[in-house]
Amino acid sequence: MVLLENDTFLTELTRLFQKCRTSGSVVITLKKYDGRTKPTPRKGHAESFEPVDNKCLVRASDGKKKISTVVTTKEVIKFQMAYSNLLRAHMDGLKKKDKKSKGHQQL
Amino acid sequence: MPYFQTWEEFARAAEKLYLTDPMKVRVVLKYRHCDGNLCIKVTDNACLQYKTDQAQDVKKIEKLHGKLMRLMVSKETHSGSMETD
Repeated sequence: MVLLENDTFLTELTRLFQKCRTSGSVVITLKKYDGRTKPTPRKGHAESFEPVDNKCLVRASDGKKKISTVVTTKEVIKFQMAYSNLLRAHMDGLKKKDKKSKGHQQL
Repeated sequence: MPYFQTWEEFARAAEKLYLTDPMKVRVVLKYRHCDGNLCIKVTDNACLQYKTDQAQDVKKIEKLHGKLMRLMVSKETHSGSMETD
């Protein structure tokens, strides 16, 4: 699993979307992150770090390649804007619902 | 695994689930361009799912995603006073 900077992550995510246009799926996961870098100790060792409350983990995969990034409160606005644009730009293969406002058409 | 029929129900249930246990809940988004559909799942090991092939839902999904992301990085755990854009 590759942990990247936010910008690099977005670039790589763009590439994932482009690669998967003809086949395959892009899976994106979003999870709250408390800054843990070591696995939870089993025998009740005192946790030697303070869990933080303001980070989240974003992962993406096309089945083969995996990328991830950590977003903090400071970065979230910038990241989220770029990320939303990315989603909207690439998830354009869905059906468009057309509202027939001029009455029903007999097909 | 239940699939929700309407977006509104799914969005409400998803946010509620997240607020019950923020550390446990994760959001999974699966996009298949070749099939032309998008599936979003919110789970803490009990799953809430929503599937769509409609372009109009992409924006809604992306907004919910952003909302949950902002909740995750904020230190407070309130839900009532989120600004809607």
